[in-house]
Amino acid sequence: MSKNDQTASFLLRFTQVIFKDKTGKADVQWRGKITHVQGNDQKNFSELKDAIGFIQNKLSDLTISSIKEDLSPKEKEGILNKSMDIWKKLAKSYPKMVAEAIKDPKAQVIQIQEQISSKAEDLSNLLHLESYKPTSKSDIQELSHQISQLTDLVAKLQKKVDNIDRKISKS
Amino acid sequence: MIKFDDTHIENLLEARQKADLEIITLGSFTLILNGEEISDNWGRDKAIQLFQFLIISRNRMALHKEMIIDRLWEEAGSDQTFKVALHEIKKVIEPKTNKRGNTKYIQRQGSSYKLNMENIWLDSQVFKSFIEIGNKLYSEQKELAILSFQSAINIYKGVFLPNRIYEDWTSSERENLQMLALNAFVSLSELLLNEQPKETIRLTEEALNIDQTWEEAYRIQMMAHMLNGNRPQALKCFEKCKNILNKEFGIDPLPVTIDLFNNIKTK
Repeated sequence: MSKNDQTASFLLRFTQVIFKDKTGKADVQWRGKITHVQGNDQKNFSELKDAIGFIQNKLSDLTISSIKEDLSPKEKEGILNKSMDIWKKLAKSYPKMVAEAIKDPKAQVIQIQEQISSKAEDLSNLLHLESYKPTSKSDIQELSHQISQLTDLVAKLQKKVDNIDRKISKS
Repeated sequence: MIKFDDTHIENLLEARQKADLEIITLGSFTLILNGEEISDNWGRDKAIQLFQFLIISRNRMALHKEMIIDRLWEEAGSDQTFKVALHEIKKVIEPKTNKRGNTKYIQRQGSSYKLNMENIWLDSQVFKSFIEIGNKLYSEQKELAILSFQSAINIYKGVFLPNRIYEDWTSSERENLQMLALNAFVSLSELLLNEQPKETIRLTEEALNIDQTWEEAYRIQMMAHMLNGNRPQALKCFEKCKNILNKEFGIDPLPVTIDLFNNIKTK
């Protein structure tokens, strides 16, 4: 069986349309298109669940065509169920992630902020400052210089994230 | 930020004459070496795949051959497959270079490989450059923006590597180029709307051939039909847009499109 027989690749296109509704209020709409590369089939969608359904159909077809003919019906059923279980798990989490990325940029900012805080903690853990025993005055100076650079870097990143956060809150 | 002017456009237009190797990837895959077209079946499919993969990866760092083998052929590929494919490419595009030497078009760094674009004219790359210039000049230098978009459109003969549409390593480049083509057709149609409504209609049709749900193209086409004195056709165009959006997305046209339709209806 060739690589293409066992692979399903999907290409997702999202187009954002910002417009004014009848009352003049700004609104946003997402239009999507999903392409199954190996079959070159395409589907337009405005709700993510339609794209998920499209993927699910293609993956079912792939699993069915990949099951060897000489397996017993029970074995075939087992493989199909297992394959669908894996997909269901993915399908539950992935759309949520994509939807959040589209609908809630603010949540992403909070996530980035949390990541920065967590990285800063990781950095201080990695440095093991309490156990660091400098041997000379220049070591101490070098260390404090590095810490100061890191602190500046984290502060700059934090500032950038705060700016993005402010812009999003305003919009 | 680079400031573009007519020299950039001229340089791009002249670049093709200066190149030794011309590569066509839009609408077909053709190689032209020193002005002579190399026949379609110049190598085994794996050699052609390898060359096309190097074209797609031209802006990245040199790629390790293991990575190339894995991406293109997985278990069906080996060191030997790679070696044979590379040899075939060199035989065709650089017949005078010896087997082991560093060649003019394919640079080797240890076990990594990269295409050297210095003497190569690649249609998709020039196409992207024209669109980049067109977009930058769009609001301030209309005439040059028109020239740039027109030059891009002249190069666009169809989708990227059409014989590879089922192979996923080509998908992202194809999608990227298709969206740029859509952008070029729509932008140029907007720029030509008042002076050349008939050409605008043709360009919006081209855009809709790429994506039949592109609502902006319908709006521009409706306006072009009106400027052309064809009100019934403008109204028909709205109906088509409405039906397609409903069929494909289950949505209505945007308020701005509906307003345009209402304006046309009452005229």
